[in-house]
Amino acid sequence: MRSVPAVILMSAASAVSAAAAPDFAEDVRPILARRCFACHAGEMRMGELDLRTPESIVKGGSKGPAVTAGSPDASLLYRRIIDQSMPLGEEKVSADEAVVIRGWIEHGLAPVPPASEAQPAASAAPEPARPRIAHWAFTPPERPAVPEPAEKGWAKTPVDAFIKSALEQNGITPAPPADRRTWLRRAHFILTGLPPTPAEAEAFLADESPEAYDRLIDDLLDRPAYGERWARHWLDVVRYAESNGYERDGAKPHAWRYRDYVIEAFQKDKPFDRFLTEQLAGDELEGADAESQIATTFLRLGTWDDEPADPRVDRYDQLDDVLGVASTTFLGLTIRCARCHDHKFEPFSQKDYYRLLAVFEPLKRPQDKRRDLDRLVGAEGELAAYRTAMEKADQAVGRLKRDIGKTRQAILDRLFEKAPGGPEDLSFLNHAETVLAFRKDEKQRSDRQKELVEKFETQLDTAILREASGEEAAKLGEWNQRVEAIEASRPAEPPRAYIWFEDTSIPPVTRLFARGDTTQPADVVFPSTPAVLGRVPLDPDERPMYSTGRRLALARWMTAPGNPLVARVIVNRIWQWYFGEGLVASENDFGVAGERPSDPELLDYLATELRQSGWSLKHLHRLIAKSAAFRLSSQWDEAAAARSMNKRLVWRWQPRRLEAEAVRDSMLAISGSLNTKRGGPSIFPELPQAVLDGQSRPGLGWETSEAAEADRRSVYIFIKRSVAVPELEMLDSPDTTSSCEHRRVSITGPQALTFLNGDFTHAQAERLAGRLLREAGTDRPSQVRLAFQLALNRPPTADQQQEALRFLEKQALQVMAETSAPDAQAEANLRALQAFCLVLLNMNEFFYLS
Amino acid sequence: MAIPFKPKAGRRATRLACGETRREFLWQAGGGFAGTALTYLLAQDGFFGAQARAASRTAGGAEAASPLAPKQPHFEARAKRCIFLFMYGGGSQVDTFDPKPELNRRHGEPMPDFDADPLLAMRRSRLGGLLGSTRTFKKYGESGIEVSDLYPNVASKIDDIAVIRGTYADSFAHGSGLLQMNTGFIRQGHPSVGSWVTYGLGTENQDLPAYVVLLDHRGGPISGPPNWSSGFMPATYQGTQFRSTGDPILHLEPPEGVSREQQRQQLDLLSKFDDLPGGAAGPESDELEARIASYELAFRMQQSAPEAVDLSSETQATKNLYGLDRKVTEKFGRNCLIARRLVERGVRFVQVYSGGGHGDDTWDAHGDVDSNHELHCAETDLPMAGLLSDLHSRGLLEDTLVVWAGEFGRTPTSQNTLGRDHSPRGFSTWIAGGGVKGGQAVGATDDFGYKAVENTVHVHDLHATILHLMGLDHTLLTYFHGGRDMRLTDVHGRVVRELLA
Repeated sequence: MRSVPAVILMSAASAVSAAAAPDFAEDVRPILARRCFACHAGEMRMGELDLRTPESIVKGGSKGPAVTAGSPDASLLYRRIIDQSMPLGEEKVSADEAVVIRGWIEHGLAPVPPASEAQPAASAAPEPARPRIAHWAFTPPERPAVPEPAEKGWAKTPVDAFIKSALEQNGITPAPPADRRTWLRRAHFILTGLPPTPAEAEAFLADESPEAYDRLIDDLLDRPAYGERWARHWLDVVRYAESNGYERDGAKPHAWRYRDYVIEAFQKDKPFDRFLTEQLAGDELEGADAESQIATTFLRLGTWDDEPADPRVDRYDQLDDVLGVASTTFLGLTIRCARCHDHKFEPFSQKDYYRLLAVFEPLKRPQDKRRDLDRLVGAEGELAAYRTAMEKADQAVGRLKRDIGKTRQAILDRLFEKAPGGPEDLSFLNHAETVLAFRKDEKQRSDRQKELVEKFETQLDTAILREASGEEAAKLGEWNQRVEAIEASRPAEPPRAYIWFEDTSIPPVTRLFARGDTTQPADVVFPSTPAVLGRVPLDPDERPMYSTGRRLALARWMTAPGNPLVARVIVNRIWQWYFGEGLVASENDFGVAGERPSDPELLDYLATELRQSGWSLKHLHRLIAKSAAFRLSSQWDEAAAARSMNKRLVWRWQPRRLEAEAVRDSMLAISGSLNTKRGGPSIFPELPQAVLDGQSRPGLGWETSEAAEADRRSVYIFIKRSVAVPELEMLDSPDTTSSCEHRRVSITGPQALTFLNGDFTHAQAERLAGRLLREAGTDRPSQVRLAFQLALNRPPTADQQQEALRFLEKQALQVMAETSAPDAQAEANLRALQAFCLVLLNMNEFFYLS
Repeated sequence: MAIPFKPKAGRRATRLACGETRREFLWQAGGGFAGTALTYLLAQDGFFGAQARAASRTAGGAEAASPLAPKQPHFEARAKRCIFLFMYGGGSQVDTFDPKPELNRRHGEPMPDFDADPLLAMRRSRLGGLLGSTRTFKKYGESGIEVSDLYPNVASKIDDIAVIRGTYADSFAHGSGLLQMNTGFIRQGHPSVGSWVTYGLGTENQDLPAYVVLLDHRGGPISGPPNWSSGFMPATYQGTQFRSTGDPILHLEPPEGVSREQQRQQLDLLSKFDDLPGGAAGPESDELEARIASYELAFRMQQSAPEAVDLSSETQATKNLYGLDRKVTEKFGRNCLIARRLVERGVRFVQVYSGGGHGDDTWDAHGDVDSNHELHCAETDLPMAGLLSDLHSRGLLEDTLVVWAGEFGRTPTSQNTLGRDHSPRGFSTWIAGGGVKGGQAVGATDDFGYKAVENTVHVHDLHATILHLMGLDHTLLTYFHGGRDMRLTDVHGRVVRELLA
């Protein structure tokens, strides 16, 4: 539908060099979008003028064509800008921007972009604006054919076909399948982060039907524990923490609602495109509600210095955090490195950084000086209804209180008439200060006045009730009842959430900062995706009433069919959370300097499969968890290892240490004390004083929870940036200042000390010993057998059984020798059993997932 | 205290070891988009991947043996270990190491060009006119460097000390200021100097932590552990809090009622349980063995850590040297003495805090600079002088670096009549010991002692110099994180040559 006369294009070519001509899509449209689209685009065409395309601009509105090619001064669009009659309001088109528009008209409106009404740019598939660099990850995945391995019958899901073919090509025989017990534990830990109970193990081992494996996977995916486990993985990536860091390290109010949101999203298998969109722009979605708004807490989880050295630098540090986490989490790109200069290793220019920054620049932080604030969330209608109901109730209560006040005043006046100077028990009213305090409106009383009122209120009420006539008493009674009724019927307050906000559809100006220095603003930039990814403009034609819609446009681009990265990045993470390492081993870096996928076809198969399944993560789970690959044993084979070297093929299960949370939760589960309560505000387990002593105000912000609360799963523990829970920190809980792609595994002396001597492990060892006594009685061999079943889902070997019994005997004798208690033997046996339980909870086999 | 096992992060951390120069060269040669394309081509060739793999393979030798095994520095180190004395709260330069007669002469007058510094102007309402110092300064030692009467004992060591009068930092606030002095950045999340040093050099005594932090008896500094965090590096490199009384390390001792003999039996049972028939195979075997070893290490630490803080073998003379016989110096003196014992035993980096908690429990002299500093100087003066003497007489000073610094200095203007506000624009720090040219004052602040104006030394420069003295090139000591090679000094830092012997 190009209707621009050819003569215009020719005049452009002849008048000036093409290089100097502003480009409509890249230069002009963003200005118009920002300044004019609110009134002259889409549905909203004031004066019938639509400024979205060169065609519609030439066509113009009720006043005729908006531009005359080659003659800016004869163009209505330009004249209105220059005389500042447009846009309405205070924000005018800047001089720089006017120059761009003038240049575009002067150059004959060229070149005309291929944009058309039917395909608004922001939601379209990314069209390359300039030739792309042919990096694999910047090209959309195409669905590969599922290969057919030579060995039939090995593959259980299509995943296996890829794995097995790759192994065959490299002459590698995969390890035999793991035994049922090993696989059972693996499945439980991977999917729920908890060990199977002995009863669950017995049931599974006894079920010989071929469907037993798949049934178990389906069962585990349905459990709340699955949501809790997998949400924790996600929280690593999004740098989740509940305090701000820095001097005061204040709590982020209601940040925990985001944690619950993530748990529920995994639990209910929220489609990933929706999950992504809500986190980036849940407030900009049509039909935004409390849930989708809470999701945007994602953007605000970073550290925050409430007393910044330089507020302006700090503002851009905050936005850098938001940009960084959004681009890393969903795109697997390190665009953040281009803040001060073009990226050294990646094809991202500094301009790309600031174009992306423009997406987040409209965000405002709710704060009252150093106080960090949250916001009420809910659907627009809900919030409006809430506010209306509250106002109505306020008004009604106000009216009643006025009536009550008048009547009381009349009674009071009578009292004073009867006893000039006031009755004895009301002598306090002789003081002018007190009388004034009572007369003053409730809300306007000073602290001193409040104090006085509180002090004498009861006395006054008694006297008034005594003096009231029957009619007055009845009226007062009725009014008071009505007040109570209204108060009782006030609507419940909607949830609050820890989110940023936008409150206008007019975006701020974003400028590139030379060398990243906020005192050196340079070119104005407009929101778009990086050039290498098509430079898709992110200023939407249609905007929400109170926001720019830029984040939503970004989310739409990310989830649009042509996006090369988003699906690959998430399926790679899912793979990583199964096998310990992604198909792309640099899970947060899909750029040129990142690692290359070990199996590009498998990666693309999973990525396209995810999309085809309607972005169902549980679908991916089933493909992976039900595979033969997931059943491989960890059996070592030198030849296979040598052939697989550097190719990172999956031919065996690579054992790895459980994450800190899984270790802690499992100890609680085994000792029989895990509290499975779900959701809600975070918990504060008791910490050793030595840990709190590291704070400048020891214990501040750590109000220890009651014992039962402290026994909940680790995902519910409050994450405070200046205080670490030793048993989690020692096992490498993630750094929360930026996205954690991969848990580290460090092994240190202090770590062993914490699990050998720490209060937490000791408490669990004691509880486990108590459980053994209850469930296995005082017979030592039975105790040992049950302990192994609980902790490792297997009986002890004969050697282990013997060693354990010898140990129990020795320890008991030692305790006996030292104690003089009357029931010394029982006490000694118990203490020995506790010592044995502690050993069990420290075993490699317990810490490692094989 | 490290275990023979290489942390996962090393995979990416090591990959740049030698690729760096070539890649940098190519980048510069190509420039702009062409450079990007070149980078891309290299990646197509598997250049980066190959580098990574090569690096981790060569790392299979000595380096992979243990992340904290002693490592060769980049060049010959002048100092093998470092004691960092941190004066938390921010000491006043014009009352200690930076005499300003002009300030005293113009006491009470408004500071000229006050509003020229926007950040100072922002705090204007809090600040009064120029506040002269009430301290008396005297020349000390052969060098004749002036030091105030607050620090007579330290002053007696001035010929060993290089005072840096033109130090400056970026933040007016404690939180970010502390972070910067400790990690180089005012944003949270970066490794501290001690972490960088142990990452670069490992440690000499595997039975003690490589990097120890001794806090003031009144509490921790603002922000707490992020000040000695390893940031994006593995926890292996983070500072370990050591307490001078009770258990020096968290969870060091078994709970009451568990004897050492019982614990030994537990460890024996554990190692039997962990002993796999035929041994473990595959890459995980290193880890599993490391875990087994970690329990033995823990058991050894139960002896070595208490021994390190047990002062009973020290002579009374030594104790007196640190002021352990006086109430005012006893607590800080004990930490200084422990610091010496730790470095003597091979600990690489020790940080000792003066000041803890808030307000006048720290050097944060908003109310009355004299009364505040009289306390904190009295607490630290003798112990620090004692530390320098003791290190010297044991032959340790020549290869031990001692650093004295707070997060910033204080304004020459008054606050609350007698107090001074924070000021990062110019303040004094000092270094002494291994490789340091003592008996000199480098750099200067303006006439009022407000702003560093001559031979200025940013925190990055101080850090670069510390690393240099320890044999590390601050531009080469990198850790790959978030898409780029991170450094202690970011993209800044210069080694202050004048400070070197």
